Amino acid sequence: MQNASSSTQLSPKAKRKSISYDKYGYLFVAPFFIVFIVFQLYSICFTFYTSVTDAAGWDKILNNQVIGFENFRQLFDPSSKIFNYFWGSLGNTVIMWLFNFVPQLGMALLLASWFTDSRLRLKFQGGFKVLIFMPNIITAATIGMLFMSLFSYPVAPVNTLLQQFGISSAPIEYFRSTPISRGLISFLQWWMWYGNTMIIMIAGILGINPSLFEASLVDGCSSRQVFWKVTLPLIKPILLYNLVTSLVGGLTMFDIPHMMTQGGPNDTTNTVARFIYTQGFNTPNNFNIASASSVVLFIIIVICSLILSAIMKDREPRAVRRAAK
Amino acid sequence: MKKILALVLALMLLAGCMSFAAAEEQITLNVWSFTNELEGMIANYYAPNHPNVTINYTIYPTDGGAYTTAVDTLLAADAASEEAPDVFTLEAAFVKKYVNSDWTADLIGDLGFTEEELAVAIPVMRQIGTSNVNGKLKGLSWQATPGALMYRASLAEKYLGVTSPEEMQALVADWDLFLETAAKVNEASEGATKMIVGEGDIWNAYNFGRSQGWVVDGKLVIDDVLYDFLDMIKTLEEDDLTNKGGAWTEVWFQGMKTDSTFCFFLPTWGLHYTLKPNCGLTTNDTMDDAALQAACEADGGTYGDWRMIAGPMGYSWGGTWIGANAAKVAAASDAKKAAIKDFIAFFTLSEDFLYQYAKDSGDFVGSNAVVEKILAEGGTPNPFLGGQDHYAIFAEAANLANGSIMTDYDETMNNLWRDNVTTPYSKGEVELDAAIANFKAAVAAQFPELVVE
Repeated sequence: MQNASSSTQLSPKAKRKSISYDKYGYLFVAPFFIVFIVFQLYSICFTFYTSVTDAAGWDKILNNQVIGFENFRQLFDPSSKIFNYFWGSLGNTVIMWLFNFVPQLGMALLLASWFTDSRLRLKFQGGFKVLIFMPNIITAATIGMLFMSLFSYPVAPVNTLLQQFGISSAPIEYFRSTPISRGLISFLQWWMWYGNTMIIMIAGILGINPSLFEASLVDGCSSRQVFWKVTLPLIKPILLYNLVTSLVGGLTMFDIPHMMTQGGPNDTTNTVARFIYTQGFNTPNNFNIASASSVVLFIIIVICSLILSAIMKDREPRAVRRAAK
Repeated sequence: MKKILALVLALMLLAGCMSFAAAEEQITLNVWSFTNELEGMIANYYAPNHPNVTINYTIYPTDGGAYTTAVDTLLAADAASEEAPDVFTLEAAFVKKYVNSDWTADLIGDLGFTEEELAVAIPVMRQIGTSNVNGKLKGLSWQATPGALMYRASLAEKYLGVTSPEEMQALVADWDLFLETAAKVNEASEGATKMIVGEGDIWNAYNFGRSQGWVVDGKLVIDDVLYDFLDMIKTLEEDDLTNKGGAWTEVWFQGMKTDSTFCFFLPTWGLHYTLKPNCGLTTNDTMDDAALQAACEADGGTYGDWRMIAGPMGYSWGGTWIGANAAKVAAASDAKKAAIKDFIAFFTLSEDFLYQYAKDSGDFVGSNAVVEKILAEGGTPNPFLGGQDHYAIFAEAANLANGSIMTDYDETMNNLWRDNVTTPYSKGEVELDAAIANFKAAVAAQFPELVVE
């Protein structure tokens, strides 16, 4: 940082000497790119390649043959053995993501608008923000394990507590119920991420020019009107960012269902990422199917993201057009 | 994960080069394993007797499949390379995958083990170490892990009027009698004590009662015994004869400390590392026998109240095998081949070593000759079992189990069977036909090569 500022100050003189420190910049960013190329770019390319081969099992991972789109046919052919499992797991993922994301966005927006409201002036804001953000610091796998033991059957804290308070007469088997299992996973995702979303929303709202709020107050807007007519339209790019990152995170959901329910009961909390994992890493290691599923998931995510950004961007020009008329 | 793997590989390469340069006239063996158990045994017993052999010991944990991934990737890339293992250990969960593959050497054909040498090996462990594909012996184990039935002596006397293990064995000699006894225990204790915690307890024993493995000639086989198992579990659940919990859950461990559970099906290691440390309300796995007993007397517990019998079915649960890398054996000089053979023979067949090791560790070793020698000396009276000799019971159980039904499909199949059939059916969520259909669909999705009818 110091280098950069001093070099800009000295630039007229430095030009003549022509000592450039620019090349060191490449050295500093090199580690990231080396690691990225070896461990991410290569893996991604290899996944694309594997998805069109017969690489089932470790012995075939390096000695495979390209067989074209057979793996993809299996994913899209309703008569194939894996069709129901793949699309079923995608359905589960979408359901659990929606039940997490809608409340998450609502809660985050509500809290963000409270925290930034100049008329409310909430006390202990810092403390609240830290507490709300806290669950995000813990690893998802840890939370999954924790809630698995909390809600397990027949002897576990939640069951014991409910029985002691006389709320239930017999222990309840939570993880044999689809709505409860899915609900718990959605709840945990919500609980872990609404703080994070809230922080992003606050940043977005603070980025709005305060004179707009002042103007709306002078014009006699209520808090509700300020939120709906001023805040929300102006943080649309932040909403889009949040929607897309959450969609990517939600569709690749793995840790919590894997640790807490292992996809049960009866595969109703099995997510696409878990489907890919069981195909690829349980015997007999169907890497080809796992790779093809990953590619399909990737394409689905790209399409959804494009659709979202198209919807979010489309509105303003139309409104402007209407106004112009 | 990958970064750690790369680092370990790099370090290992470095270590390999260094020791290779240092010991020119020595034979170097690369040994891979998933715990430091064998490393300790090498240091304490093997190394002092074998000054001319240098051991490069590498550990990958089994967590998240790190060990099998490391072995698989290296063997698939270049099995004969310098850093590849000469000898590697195999756990029960994946031993079949490797002995069924071409990656492990034939101990008789390639390494020259003779039938006379192998005669002492406990049959069940040898059967599991034998390939299902060509019947060749590929792995041997230094321990045997037969399972037995551990029950509470005081509860047996109170509810069943039983005072000796022989009488108890007569009451659970087969599964029908087991069910009758379970009902009696429940009735006499007015529901306070259940026979077992849940399906996970009897699964291993039932599993070994099958006459065929999961897959025969590329076809899925559901043995009739598995339907008996379902009937048994359904009856136990419906008549409320279990604690309705899974193995390794809170209620399972509670059953070991309190009077809520009558008996457990546990193997050799289960007795020492699972039941014993959990026998009291305040016990833990760092306590020795005296401390365990004191803790149980002070705070409540079950120390000394357990007795052991063979139970309705001989079975085996767990174990570690040693196998040799076929590519390295094929490329090895005669001296190195002899060293590899000697390494495996030392740990799995050598009477001197196994006897000493059994005496030092109390482990149940995989040689019938040594087991008989220990029994002839008066066995190993165990205060935890009220003075009963655990070696004698395990010896009996070890020779009852049939290891030939194990296949490399087992781990995945067992999980699919539990999730699709045992759990939903025993809880009355689905009909049997629907459960079996779900299982078959799940198997077909996971194993595309398999014929599922």
